[in-house]
Amino acid sequence: MGKRLLRGLPLVLSLALLPLVAAPALASERCAVDDRGREVCLPAPAERIAALSPGATELVYAAGAGERVVAVVAYSDYPPEARQVASVGSHTRVDLERLLALAPDLVIGWVTGNPVEQLETLEALGLPVFYIEPRTLEGVATAIERLSRLAGSEAAGEAEAARFRDGMAELAERYADAAPLSVFYQVWDEPLMTINDDHLIGQVLSLCGGVNVFGELDRLVPRLDEEAVLAADPEAILAGGMGEENRAWLTHWQQYPALTAVARDNLFFVPPSLIQRPTPRLLEGSRLFCEKLEVARSRREASP
Amino acid sequence: MVTLARPLGGLALVALAALVLSVALGSVTLPPGEILAVLRGQGSPLAQTLILELRLPRSLSAFAVGGLLAVAGALMQVLLRNPLADPYVLGLSGGASVGALAAMLAGLGGLVVSGGAFAGALLSTLLVFGLAHGRGGWTPARLLLTGVVVAAGWGAVITLMLAVTPADRLPGMLYWLMGDLAYARAPWPPLALLLLVCLLVMPLGRSLNVLARGPLQAAALGVSVRRLEWGIYLGASALTAMAVTSAGSIGFVGLVVPHMLRLLLGNDQRLILPACALAGGTLLLLADTLARTMIAPEQLPVGVITALLGVPTFLYLLYRSQ
Repeated sequence: MGKRLLRGLPLVLSLALLPLVAAPALASERCAVDDRGREVCLPAPAERIAALSPGATELVYAAGAGERVVAVVAYSDYPPEARQVASVGSHTRVDLERLLALAPDLVIGWVTGNPVEQLETLEALGLPVFYIEPRTLEGVATAIERLSRLAGSEAAGEAEAARFRDGMAELAERYADAAPLSVFYQVWDEPLMTINDDHLIGQVLSLCGGVNVFGELDRLVPRLDEEAVLAADPEAILAGGMGEENRAWLTHWQQYPALTAVARDNLFFVPPSLIQRPTPRLLEGSRLFCEKLEVARSRREASP
Repeated sequence: MVTLARPLGGLALVALAALVLSVALGSVTLPPGEILAVLRGQGSPLAQTLILELRLPRSLSAFAVGGLLAVAGALMQVLLRNPLADPYVLGLSGGASVGALAAMLAGLGGLVVSGGAFAGALLSTLLVFGLAHGRGGWTPARLLLTGVVVAAGWGAVITLMLAVTPADRLPGMLYWLMGDLAYARAPWPPLALLLLVCLLVMPLGRSLNVLARGPLQAAALGVSVRRLEWGIYLGASALTAMAVTSAGSIGFVGLVVPHMLRLLLGNDQRLILPACALAGGTLLLLADTLARTMIAPEQLPVGVITALLGVPTFLYLLYRSQ
C-alpha cells in the first residue's frame, strides 16, 4: 500500500508544480537529446510540429502536444484526431513542398524509416529535426518526456510517461515469478519473420515470463523457415497479421497438430498496432501478451 | 549544319518549356505572379524556398541525369551495335548499387553513399574493361557477354546484401535501388559533365557514324576503331556513373530515348547525341514533375512515370515507322 502511494508521488508532485512550470514565458531554450544522440534546442516551445511516422504522431499526442501537430504521414491513424491533420505523403517519400508550406518549427524524424537525404535537406533549410526510434521500453517513456520538453507540455508528457512506466513496472512485478513458457512471435508470414530478445517485442515477451524460442539469434528481425519453428516446438504462438483482425497466419499452423502450441490450442492473435509501434499503446499490447501467456500456462496443467 | 540546327533548336525549346513547367508546378500551388517575383529576387520566403531550394535544383538534376542516361545509352548502342544495349547493360549500375549498399550496410550515409556508388561504378567499368580484353583481341560481342555476366554477378551480390541486411536498414536500400530524384543534391556536377561530353563528342560524330556501320568499314575509312571504341566505353561509363551517383538507377530513359530519336531524326550521330541530351533531359524532367505532383502529397517513384510516358510513345513511333 505504502509502495503504491510512493509510486504516485512524482505524479502528484508534478501536477502540483504544473502552475510553476507553465508560468509565463519561460523564454529560455528548450533542449533534448534525440535517438541519434544529438542535442536539439529550440528557442521557444514548438508550436507547429510535423511528425514523419505514424509512431512519431502517436508519441507527440502522448506527450500532450497533439493539438500542435500540423503535418503527419500516411497511416497516422492513432489517435483518431490525427486522421484530420494534413498529410505530407508517406514516411518513405515525404512531399517536402507541402511540408514547408505548413511552416513547421519542429520536425520529428524516424531514424531508419525516413530517407536521410530528405531530412538533411530540411536541416539545411534551417528546420530543427528531432530523430526518434525507441528501442527499449524505457526509451518509449523518455521519448514522450523529451518530446513534451520540446513542446512545452511537460506536465502532460511526464504524467503519460509515468503511467507507461508504472504500468510496465506493474506487469514486470506481477510476472516476475511466472513459470517460463516457450513462445514464438511471428512478425510476418512470407518470408517468415520473428524477433530476437533485443527487439522491443522480445523485451515485452521476457517481461511476461515468456522465453522467445529464437531470442538468441543475432539479427534483430531474423528470417526463418517453418522447419525451424517445428524444431523449436514453442508452447505458444503469438502473431499479428495483415490488418487488425486477420487470423490467417495462425490458422496456417493448425496443419501441424504435433506442435505443442497447436495441440494445446495456444495460437493467439495480438493486433499488430498495439505491439509493433513503439508508443504508449505498447502497454495495452503488453497486457494482452501477458494475459495470453497466462492462458497458455493454465492449459499446461490441463494437458498431460 | 542548318539541318542540325532546326531539330536541335526545337528540342531545346521543348526542354526550356519543360523546365518552366516543372518550376511552376508543385504540390503547393504558387500563383504565376509569385513565381516571377521569386525569379526577380523578391517574393515571400516560403515561395523563395520552394522554388530556389527545392524545385529548381531538383529540376536541373532531373534534366542532367536524363540527358546523361540518354547519351550514355546512345553511345552503348553504337559501341555494341545492339539495339537492346542501355547504360546499365555492362553491369555499371550493379557495381554502383553494390558500392552504395555497402556504404549503407556499414551504417554510413549521405556523401559516403554517393562516393561508394561512384567507386562501385568505376570498379565495375575497370573489371569489365580488363576482363573483356582477355588474352586475344576483343570484340563487341565479347565485351557485351563480359558485361552481362558481371552484371549478373553484381545482381547476386545485391540480393545477398539485401538478404543479410537488418530489416530496419532495408527501406533506405530499397529506395536507393529504385532510383529517385528526391535525393539528388547538387545539379551542377552532372550538368557540367553533360555539357563537357556533348562538346567532346561533337567532333567525333562522323567517326561514330562510320563505326555504327561496322568496324571493318570504319577501319577501311581510316577510323582508329579500337581507340574509338574504348573511348566510347569509358565516356559512356563516366556518364552513367555520374547519373547513378546522383539519383540511383533510373531505368528506361537510356534505352528508349535514343531509339525514339533515331525513328524521328534518322541515325546521324552528329544529330542524335546532342538530341539525346536534350530529349532525355526533357523526358526525365516531365516524368519527375508528374511523379511529385500527380497524387500529391504521395510521391511516386520516377521510374514508373518514365515508363508510363515512354512506352506508348515509343510503341507508336515504332508502329508508324516502315
